[in-house]
Amino acid sequence: MTAAQTPAVAARRRNRQRHIAETLFWYVLLLFIAAITILPLAWTLLTSLKGPHDAIFSVPPQLLPQDPTLDNYARVWKQLPVGNFFLNSIVVAIATTTLNVLLTALAAYPFAKMKFRGRDTIFYLLLATFIVPPQLTYIPGFVLARNVFQYYDTLVALVFPNLATVFNIFLLRQAFRGVPNDLIDAAKMDGASELRIWWQILLPVIRPSLATAAIITFVTSWNDFLWPSLMLPTMTNKTLPVGLAALQGMFASDLRATAAGIVMTIIPILILFIILQRQFVRGMTGAVKG
Amino acid sequence: MNRKLQFRVSLSVLAMLLVAVVALAACGAPPAPAAPAAPQVVKETVVVPQTVVAAQTVVAAQTVVVPQTVVAQQTVVVEPTAAPNPEAVIPNVEPNAEITLWTFWLSPTFDDYIKDTIARFEKAYPGVKVNWEDHQATFQDDLKNAFAAGKAPDVINLSVSEGWVSDYATKGLLLPLDDKVSQDVKDLYFPGLWNEQIVDGKNYQFPWYQGMNVELINMKIYSDTAGLKLEDFPKTIDGLPALCKTIKDKTGTLCDIRLTTNDLLAQMVYEGGVDVISKDGKTFTFDSPEAVSWLQMYVDMVKAGTVDKSVLVTDQDRVGLDLFASGNAAFYQTGPNLIREVRANNPGLYGYLAAVPAPVGRSGVLGKGLMSLSANAATKFPNASIALAQFFTNPQSMLDFSKLVAVYPSTPKSYDDPFFAAKPIAVEDSAKPIAKDIISKYADIVPTIPHKADVNDIVLQAVQSALFNNVPAQQALSDAVKKANALLAQ
Amino acid sequence: MPKKLNLTPYLFLAPALLVIGVFILYPILAVIYYSFTEYDIVTAPVWIGLKNYQQLWNDEVFWLALRNSFVYLLVTPILIVLCILLAIAVNRKLPGINAFRAIYYVPVISGSIAVGYAWRMLFDTNGLINGALLSLGLIKESIQWLAEPALTLPIAMALTIWLGLGYYMMIFLAGLQNIPEELYDAALIDGCNGIQKHWYVSVPGLRPQITFVAVISALAALEVFNEIYTLTGGLGGILNSGVTMVFYLWKQAFKLQHAGYASAIAMALLVITLLFSIVNIRSLERGTEQE
Repeated sequence: MTAAQTPAVAARRRNRQRHIAETLFWYVLLLFIAAITILPLAWTLLTSLKGPHDAIFSVPPQLLPQDPTLDNYARVWKQLPVGNFFLNSIVVAIATTTLNVLLTALAAYPFAKMKFRGRDTIFYLLLATFIVPPQLTYIPGFVLARNVFQYYDTLVALVFPNLATVFNIFLLRQAFRGVPNDLIDAAKMDGASELRIWWQILLPVIRPSLATAAIITFVTSWNDFLWPSLMLPTMTNKTLPVGLAALQGMFASDLRATAAGIVMTIIPILILFIILQRQFVRGMTGAVKG
Repeated sequence: MNRKLQFRVSLSVLAMLLVAVVALAACGAPPAPAAPAAPQVVKETVVVPQTVVAAQTVVAAQTVVVPQTVVAQQTVVVEPTAAPNPEAVIPNVEPNAEITLWTFWLSPTFDDYIKDTIARFEKAYPGVKVNWEDHQATFQDDLKNAFAAGKAPDVINLSVSEGWVSDYATKGLLLPLDDKVSQDVKDLYFPGLWNEQIVDGKNYQFPWYQGMNVELINMKIYSDTAGLKLEDFPKTIDGLPALCKTIKDKTGTLCDIRLTTNDLLAQMVYEGGVDVISKDGKTFTFDSPEAVSWLQMYVDMVKAGTVDKSVLVTDQDRVGLDLFASGNAAFYQTGPNLIREVRANNPGLYGYLAAVPAPVGRSGVLGKGLMSLSANAATKFPNASIALAQFFTNPQSMLDFSKLVAVYPSTPKSYDDPFFAAKPIAVEDSAKPIAKDIISKYADIVPTIPHKADVNDIVLQAVQSALFNNVPAQQALSDAVKKANALLAQ
Repeated sequence: MPKKLNLTPYLFLAPALLVIGVFILYPILAVIYYSFTEYDIVTAPVWIGLKNYQQLWNDEVFWLALRNSFVYLLVTPILIVLCILLAIAVNRKLPGINAFRAIYYVPVISGSIAVGYAWRMLFDTNGLINGALLSLGLIKESIQWLAEPALTLPIAMALTIWLGLGYYMMIFLAGLQNIPEELYDAALIDGCNGIQKHWYVSVPGLRPQITFVAVISALAALEVFNEIYTLTGGLGGILNSGVTMVFYLWKQAFKLQHAGYASAIAMALLVITLLFSIVNIRSLERGTEQE
């Protein structure tokens, strides 16, 4: 390998120059990608702030509002029950997340730490259902909602079918497996019941994985669209994405209001993201290690 | 690694299960052979009345900003009937009925009107409670799902012009009204409107507010830039291609024209004078020379690049209105009632608005009604539902509505009010004096279409493939007729 | 003496299994049944044997939807390549690097419906893209982006890629940070340049992440709906140019009320997903065996 035989000093100097050039290069590149990422949303935000005399379409495009206003937001807020959309989305996401994590954590424990008949069969059958496209279940799901559970047009319809997900069971099973058996055995010696062990000893230990599962479930529920759009015809019952689809038509001839509606649906989850950024990223990416 | 292997195994198990079930089912019932029926072209002469009433009378206001008309008079005298409340004309309304009403795109602008009318209704029929809900862009999706879930509203605001009444009536989801409503009540409406959407010989709707198709003109483009004169606006649709070419050449803007994608056969009937189905209702015939020539007109416009393609095939009227309201189209065909949208969204454009009568199609018939109210066939309170639908469409309610916005009553009596005789000031009102005459001539000339939604989908595919995929119009329509006839043969 | 059956594990499993049984397993069986019936969700299903499948076989739109769904799978390799490059780009200690990572992540959490409508505004005939291209003189007159059949799918795919960039980047980033520094040092000593070092060290080191992203993003691509719905206004694009399997399933079931026929489409979708997953897992096993 001849390249490695260059004198060390020269190499260091060259490295320093290269280092500066490289840093510059990376910043330009990163900024460029950031622009691409943020542009559609920034344009939407700017459009939503434009007054009636600011052009939406012009050559060259007018980026900044000359006469910024919050009127568009007021208009959307007044004409659509956006407050209800918020509340519904929050209620559904929190209920789904809490119950789902609880149920899947319950189910994951025996898969990880107990021996019982049919364990592997059940587990791999469950795993196979992971690849079933959710949309496939919507037709029977619709019939169930109407005939059996009678929860059509209520928020329960969004929570119920999502109470347990195979993905989370799998994720939490991996987490339980990482817990040393000694911990469980010691508790058993003290005469604790399995339920107590699960609740008092194991759940606190696997808290990071629970957070991962919770965040994935929350974001999925928050952004879910197709099933809620089938289940929620009543305006005041809609969640944010479904309400946004209704708004899209309502203000078709009013791009400023449409933009305001888009921004209003993004803001709450964005704030949540900024507050919980670290957990978010760990949560959304943590799944892959499982 | 073991885990992945077992995952794979379980996948294969699931796959085999599937295969087994499919194989099992295959032994079920033998498939019925579909007998393709040969398309049969039935020639028929259509009486083409030359209706040009509208042409001379509608005045085009030009570049004047005008105040909106102020409501001066109220009160129309409604003949008292035997019922305790003169407006309560439907007998046997169920006591303590609670019914739901869905309207299409009326909230929030008309919240007060709807709520006031409901309050009047609840006074006229004591003991009935009405829950009102308005739906906009997602109306059709919401309603279809609600019907599927058995939770559809009792009284529904359906569009006749978009073909919704026939959609739901052909599926047996609406309540037939003929036997439930006395002749006195039927006589309240223009006969042409009462009969405007007959499905298999029955009427399913109370005609509600009517529109008058006008062509809204953006004078900034049409006159100032293109140098065209209002009185030269085409009187028939055959003049549109040339107009669009001129406008494109002179202004660079595209024509804002929309196909009624949910009810293309009806549009063929009115615009193209096409016989879409044989008299006995057994074979489709919408590949006749008339139909081909109708489609070819649009194909030529698309080829010439003079029409906005996304508007042409959208299912939302609002998309077309949006283009017009943004000030980037020379004209758009709509009801004067929607001028308020333009005014709200682009106040600057309002001053440049003018209105001329919409061009007439080759059938010569001016058009059909706009909105109606129907009752759900599965309602628990049929009489209360009919009563509500009737109440909203009675002369008093209709007159009140007309005073708020440029819509026109379906009831002749409403026009007796001095309001309609008053001289129009705003562009919205330019059609007021002649409204009664035009609305009374609206008629349904579209035959009942079996399997309407499916057939419409077939026609839509055919029309799109001719418009955008270089399939010759004749071939596209003939193929579509074949497919549609196969549906009939089932 | 026979061992007493311990009920505890089953009790722990029961709630979750019940939910999955009712909302996933039962629906699969029900869909299989519906696919042999004529069913409009309102009235009782009527058995018609294989008729739906025969109709499916002769349905041009179905084949188009199938083709579109397969074309859509192209987002997977594109995402993998782009996101690995992006992860490498952000995997360095620069001031403010965390801000960049966070910005790239914003589309992920914004939700595909909101972002879809934002894109629709951009690609509108009177949108920003036309405005920019016109003012740069690159085009002479506005392009009707969303009314061009040939462009519907590429725009939707671009949206999917744009939506996923941040998410998959983070996954690869986490993977990169797990690769021991010594491996790179060794590569440098072996005379690898910057690009070679990533090819020989980063890519093999990221194998588990690549597999994960391949499976997840391919499943998501086969199930795409929201992007198509928002960009085409719920119509599926001119000439069905944006109609994918799931979109067609939705249209048949809930727009045209042919739930029976839609169930047959669902079965086709299930079979394709199954085959695809098996292929995917096969190739992943081969990959791990090589190591």
